[in-house]
Amino acid sequence: MSLETDDGHDDHHHHHLPAVEDWPRGFGEASWWPFITAVGGSGIYIGMALWILRDVVGSPLIGIGAAVASIGLFLVGIYGWLYHAFITKFWTRDITAAGPVSLRWGMITFLGTEIATFGAIFAYYFYFRAGTDWALPAATPTEALTGSLIIANTMVLIASSFTLHWAHHAIRHNDRKNFVRGMGLTVFLGLVFLGGQTLEYYQFIVTYGFNFTEGVYGSAFFGLTGLHGLHVALGIVILSIVFIRGLYGQYSAERHLSVSTASMYWHFVDIVWVFLVVVLYVGAGQI
Amino acid sequence: MEINAQIALTVFMGVLLVAVAAWLTRIEDWRSYSSTAGGVVSQGERSEYIEQEKPAGLIRWLTTVDHKDIGILYGIYGLTAFAVGGLMVVLMRVELATPSTTLVGPALYNSLMTSHGITMLFLFGTPIIAAFSNYLIPLIIGADDMAFPRINAIAFWLLPPSALMIWAGFFAGPLGLGFEAPQTAWTLYTPLSTGSAGGSLDPAGGAGIDLMLLGLHLSGVAATMGAINFIATIFTQRDENVTWANLDIFSWTILTQSGLILFAFPLLGSALLMLLADRNFGTSFFLADGGNLLWQHLFWFFGHPEVYILVLPMMGIVSYVLPRFAGRKLFGFKFVVYSTLAIGVLSFGVWAHHMFATGMDPRLRASFMAVSMAIAIPSAVKTFNWITTLWNGRIRLTTPMLFCIGFVSNFIIGGVTGVFLASIPVDLVLHDTYYVVGHFHYIVMGAIAFAGFAGIYYWFPLVTGRMYQATLGKAHFWLSFIGTNITFFAMILLGYGGMPRRYATYLPQFTSLNVIATVGAMILFVGQIIFVWNLVNSWYAGKRVESGDPWDLKRDGVHTVEWQWFDRKIETAITDGGEEEQNAVTDGGEPIDKSENN
Ligand code: HEM
Ligand SMILES: [Cu+2]
Repeated sequence: MSLETDDGHDDHHHHHLPAVEDWPRGFGEASWWPFITAVGGSGIYIGMALWILRDVVGSPLIGIGAAVASIGLFLVGIYGWLYHAFITKFWTRDITAAGPVSLRWGMITFLGTEIATFGAIFAYYFYFRAGTDWALPAATPTEALTGSLIIANTMVLIASSFTLHWAHHAIRHNDRKNFVRGMGLTVFLGLVFLGGQTLEYYQFIVTYGFNFTEGVYGSAFFGLTGLHGLHVALGIVILSIVFIRGLYGQYSAERHLSVSTASMYWHFVDIVWVFLVVVLYVGAGQI
Repeated sequence: MEINAQIALTVFMGVLLVAVAAWLTRIEDWRSYSSTAGGVVSQGERSEYIEQEKPAGLIRWLTTVDHKDIGILYGIYGLTAFAVGGLMVVLMRVELATPSTTLVGPALYNSLMTSHGITMLFLFGTPIIAAFSNYLIPLIIGADDMAFPRINAIAFWLLPPSALMIWAGFFAGPLGLGFEAPQTAWTLYTPLSTGSAGGSLDPAGGAGIDLMLLGLHLSGVAATMGAINFIATIFTQRDENVTWANLDIFSWTILTQSGLILFAFPLLGSALLMLLADRNFGTSFFLADGGNLLWQHLFWFFGHPEVYILVLPMMGIVSYVLPRFAGRKLFGFKFVVYSTLAIGVLSFGVWAHHMFATGMDPRLRASFMAVSMAIAIPSAVKTFNWITTLWNGRIRLTTPMLFCIGFVSNFIIGGVTGVFLASIPVDLVLHDTYYVVGHFHYIVMGAIAFAGFAGIYYWFPLVTGRMYQATLGKAHFWLSFIGTNITFFAMILLGYGGMPRRYATYLPQFTSLNVIATVGAMILFVGQIIFVWNLVNSWYAGKRVESGDPWDLKRDGVHTVEWQWFDRKIETAITDGGEEEQNAVTDGGEPIDKSENN
């Protein structure tokens, strides 16, 4: 963690301005990106609200449109923020000693919040699963719950953790080629997993007629797998950013912080999946 | 099924907490974070707050990533919400001056009550704390800014839309949009909140509830982002000579609070989305047999930590400010820190004391009673430390000090009534009566708001460079103190008499105490009008502070970091600008706040 402290001791106490390279230009403590990101983020909620109010506003498309536009704005904000804060001038931008450590802490605490986010739905499931009148809805595709698709998909996700670890290991040894390969492979495996999950949803909903309105188990199943799927999708976005930055030649054995934080996230999502398979697929109580 | 399920749930929550703790101890090498490891200890001057670093006008405020500006934004936001929530409750108290409905009907009453609670807890309480912590913590711990200045700004800008969504129902009704303000109370208990006729048709507010759920979720996201930021800041951005051993008490309480937010708010977030799905997508998270009890478990697993999320930082402010006017250091500093951490941990183990009357498993109920009693111990430790700090101290009764003492006094009554409620047999009698309303208002109004006032007055010169009017400040204190005690003591008595909470009407035998409570509320109201006037007026026209030590802290050797920063800022201003210099000469170095420093 003391890698960067050797940037001159006299300098050490100077005020580091947070936003020197930013838009609007020429100021040290001003940036439009947070405001844009927040407007986009809130817009997603307002879009949902308008969708719920579809009878009042006249059409469900208004809400959906607002939400989609807001997602776009949100992504623009995130892009501008990441670009100016981390990506531009990757090699020359000055970093404080505390910068990398605080980003690690940011990720650790974020994963803490994720435990609580998942925890609420797991708590819901356990609450009913442990109850004496637990019963699966009639439409539950019991044999498919432990079928080949789910096993294959799980293997794919676990494999992606290994490929990611391999990439991380490579960049630690300045092996850029294998780093990029490993990242690309991980993103690919993530996409395969999402594809597998889509197929599974299709089978369950269309073939077996089992969807989220099917009682407690239906809600728990689609709530948990859906939430997890969203996390995988977000993880793919994060890993892709790292992958693309890698293609552009960023990162080295000394400078690969976002590789580490992205891996922490991905491994976490992976572990949640294994837990989920054990309690929700295998532990549903079909035996 | 109930018993097994609840035990399973409790065990699960317990395992979750242990797992989190274990995980945290493993994931990082904690010792590597001690700041002394850096080794560079040079007390260089830091460059100052230069206005040119920001654009002018409105754009400055929309684009700012400076923690001080964001702190001011949070403060304005929180006080606006305080005014809105206050006006709502004034209407309610006027209605309650008579037993029957006169001014507002039952539906509007329920809406006001729901929004009053949500506004005060989520839109005033959490943001006003963020105002203090954003402005002060980077200064106090010697950081350049927050660890993630841009995330800091994003988190703030999520809040205004969330408030609009929470209040939307009040505008929709009069505009004829077909939905109303929610009438679910802040606890959002199912099945009332799931809607009897499906999503948008229920009598408790229709889509107004959906909008409120979305708004609450958004505000929770903002609070969570803030918490992540504070943890990262306090862990990694401290100056070399700020160590764990000499970290100030306010930062300790913010750190603990952020830890609570980290697990409480996202859990509420998921529960809110599950409720939203039940209302709109036909899922059955809370519709199955036992779902109503499950909602209560999830809600209070968030809800009890939430009350400590609000009170811990305010205790931090009192622990920070009160010793300054007692001419000595905080008594038993270590124990105040330990008790903060103890409360933080215990607060996740008491949630079911809000559910004693639901017919839950008696063994579980008893254990929650035991933990709830135990949490009173660290709270009492703090109280005794404050009192001992005052003991034989050289007390200066400035406005912030008065509010600190008022805090301690009100917290004692709020805490003692809490311990009574934590006892199952007593709670079964008093649950859902005005006694509970009295209990928590002694804390949320009498303590949390009071500490907020103390902080606002204490740091007013630091933020604005001007002094408020001391006489008005004291008037504000006395009106608030007397008003609080009249209003909420009357409620405690009403609760003993058996008056149920959350109704727009009541039996005639409760009239006189209700009139007293309404009179108390009006006294409070007058006090707050004075407060707002004093604040706004002094911000624009108050006397400029010329000394870097408006509170005479140097005399007692407690001129803390943020005031040293202020001192340097004032000095640079005087050497730079002519106008300032003239003022300094005419006033002849007299401390501006003579009346406050008698
Ligand atoms: C000394 C420790 C405390 C104990 C033992 C305690 C105990 C209790 C109990 C048992 C109840 C449930 C009463 C019922 O509904 O029948 C309650 C309600 C409440 N307490 Fe406390 N309390 C304590 C401190 C606090 C603090 C510090 C706060 C606020 C910061 C607080 C805020 C509340 C609120 C808001 C409610 C009512 C929630 C509702 O039903 O709307 N309490 N307390
Ligand atoms: Cu509680």
